[in-house]
Amino acid sequence: MKKIKENPIVKKLGFNRIVLTGVLILMYVLLSLMVNNFAGLPRIMSALNYAYFLGFLSLGVTFVIATGGIDFSIGPVMFCCALVAGYSLTSKGIPMLPSLLISIVVGLIFGTWNGYLVAYWKVPPFIVSMASMNMAKGIASVFTKTQSVSWPQAAQGGWFRNLVKVGKFPVGLVVFLCVAVICSIILNHTKAGRYMLSLGSNREAVRLSGVDIKKWEMLAYILCGILVGIAAIYYVGAYTTVQPGYGDQYNNEAIAGCVMGGTSMAGGLASIGGTVIGVFIIALLQEGILALGFTKDYQLIITGLIVIVAVYADVMARRRKN
Amino acid sequence: MGEVILEMKEIDKTFPGVHALDHVNFEVRKGEVHALMGENGAGKSTLMKVLTGIYTKDSGSIIYEGKDIEFHGAREAQDAGVVIVHQELNMVGHLTVAQNIFIGREFKKGIKIDDKKMNEEAKKLFDRLNIDIDPTATMSDLTVGKQQMCEIAKAISHEAKVIIFDEPSAALTESEIEDLFKIIRDLREQQMAIVYISHRMDEIKVITDRVTVMRDGCYVGTLITDECTKDDIINMMVGRVIYEEPKTKSMVAPDAPVVLKVEHLNAGKMVQDVSFELRKGEILGFSGLMGAGRTETARAIFGADPKESGDIYVNGEKVVINSPQDAVKHGIGYLSEDRKRFGIVVQKSVAENTTMADLPNYIKGIFINKKKEREVAQKFVDSLNTKTPGVDQLVVNLSGGNQQKVVIAKWLCKNCDILIFDEPTRGIDVGAKNEIYKLMNKLAAEGKSIIMISSEMTEILRMSDRVVVMCEGRKTGEIAIEEATQENIMNMATREIG
Repeated sequence: MKKIKENPIVKKLGFNRIVLTGVLILMYVLLSLMVNNFAGLPRIMSALNYAYFLGFLSLGVTFVIATGGIDFSIGPVMFCCALVAGYSLTSKGIPMLPSLLISIVVGLIFGTWNGYLVAYWKVPPFIVSMASMNMAKGIASVFTKTQSVSWPQAAQGGWFRNLVKVGKFPVGLVVFLCVAVICSIILNHTKAGRYMLSLGSNREAVRLSGVDIKKWEMLAYILCGILVGIAAIYYVGAYTTVQPGYGDQYNNEAIAGCVMGGTSMAGGLASIGGTVIGVFIIALLQEGILALGFTKDYQLIITGLIVIVAVYADVMARRRKN
Repeated sequence: MGEVILEMKEIDKTFPGVHALDHVNFEVRKGEVHALMGENGAGKSTLMKVLTGIYTKDSGSIIYEGKDIEFHGAREAQDAGVVIVHQELNMVGHLTVAQNIFIGREFKKGIKIDDKKMNEEAKKLFDRLNIDIDPTATMSDLTVGKQQMCEIAKAISHEAKVIIFDEPSAALTESEIEDLFKIIRDLREQQMAIVYISHRMDEIKVITDRVTVMRDGCYVGTLITDECTKDDIINMMVGRVIYEEPKTKSMVAPDAPVVLKVEHLNAGKMVQDVSFELRKGEILGFSGLMGAGRTETARAIFGADPKESGDIYVNGEKVVINSPQDAVKHGIGYLSEDRKRFGIVVQKSVAENTTMADLPNYIKGIFINKKKEREVAQKFVDSLNTKTPGVDQLVVNLSGGNQQKVVIAKWLCKNCDILIFDEPTRGIDVGAKNEIYKLMNKLAAEGKSIIMISSEMTEILRMSDRVVVMCEGRKTGEIAIEEATQENIMNMATREIG
């Protein structure tokens, strides 16, 4: 076992990520055996639709968790982005491209707001994001007058759906993986990422090194906000309609994907590659649960358990190290 | 003195990189006060932690009341009658005295907590100790001395047979220490066995019956207090370890420019009207008892904590320092006494920690130039003789002395000219200590200016070119190394300010 972990190739890829990939493949094989017609493109495309928006959320929250924070507002903020942008598009006559930008800007505003309160006012992230979650729901309801919003189909000028797929080609997958690579570079190869991880590990030591920790902490939330705005586009690209007042469940799922991928809730340790695989597992799981004939409620239960098990595994791993 | 109640034999304990306890022997008898002495890092606390099961021993045996035992935690030791009164008090501030004493084992009446009974029981304990504390008072309203007495009462309430005092006098005033000694004598009368850990030679002579000295994790010997002199104990504590040559005169040129001038610095109760000058190439020792305000002064200068007033001049120019960022900009680096909390990021590598303060200089485009980073880190590993398998090693895996070197490398990498070393050798074993001393002398010779805060008198006398002494938040003296002695520094450190 130890020998396997010491192997340079395994070390490079990360033992945890290899195991997770194994789990992902195993899940797919099992589901294919258990459910008729599970194997094949339609199911994969359906799971991918789920993986895109959840993936962007999960990438975003990875930055926040890396700093030792948490964001429970991402799901409802994503809905708020989709609703505000969608309403602007369908009821205010704003063209498609600016509407998509509005979605990202709304995410950015929420991210900045969360980040500012956490970094500069030192309000606990848990409280800030809980408050933002409700504010996002409220703002979306007020803005749309509590109406649900349906984004246009491809034939009615909904060209943004090409961002999800063109014919059978999964454009979304390409975009998602590209963004993931960019996130990975930011986290591991730039000053911003270095400081985010370092301050997540030992905030005081970084501050006493003369680093402006507030700025970098806030930046993590801003990046998260932008990614939430992108997630909103992929949500409506796949599911068309958004309703005010929802989105909470995706918090849990996004955080589950992130923590399962090896990002530590205590901060300081994060893996973008792990998050990507974690997200695929959650997406496949949700597809599998529906295919097995269970309702969506079971998915809530299972994701809840996954979060607890993943966090517990992280706690135990750190205790062993000490 | 009565029979031996507790005996530790051949206790051995190794941490990664440090042989913390090397076959140590220790015993304590009923009705005696037994001092456990040694310099910082000698292994006193480790030995007590092994006793109470906070650490597990690698080998050796513990015999308590004639039986071979092994405790698995403070709670288990407590139940058996072995209790530690810690240096840092473990009290819940907003609960009452009685509630604190009986925390975790409250008296109950049905399902309700019986506060009345707890107050009565607490009163009985205080009566037994001849001290006057109101059991219904809120803990945070009491002075530190009174709080400590509550801690002692709590210890006794556990039917303690062995009480270990870990540097109990560090935070107490003179009169509180008197009271403490009175209590300790009473406990001795009641045939309790008392272990007294302290640095203060005077107290040892006054209160203890026997002295056991440890050095570098080894048992040195046990003496009967009345039959030995202070010098005997000091010799045993210091041993024949050859340190860097002690300074007999200042190494600073008489015309060396002043690089840092602090005037009338105020920051809370712990920093009151502190003024001093630091010259190029100088090691300025800051001496004083624990809680004298030295760390607070350093943190205020460095901008880590807010200050109320005062001027700071760097190289003759007045500067504004409101945050560590400002301080670093002006070339000031701070090495905290608590490396793990304030110095290093343990989950990051040696290279990443080295460039922590100077990262903007390792950016190419938008990326970190990891090649350059690793080269520079390697350079410092070589020049500071840091023992690490490589610059990619996580700092968490390094020993204390080597972690300290990584922190030094961080500030040298940033090219800071003014370095504040706060207890630079705390928790570092003797070999590494000597290396840190050498390094500080080398840095000073190269023209860096160093403020060295130290609670070890020998360290102050060995390293400083000049000594500033603080007491209760004020500067109470300043003395050239040529005239400094343990006695006159101690006098200034305990001076009553009228």
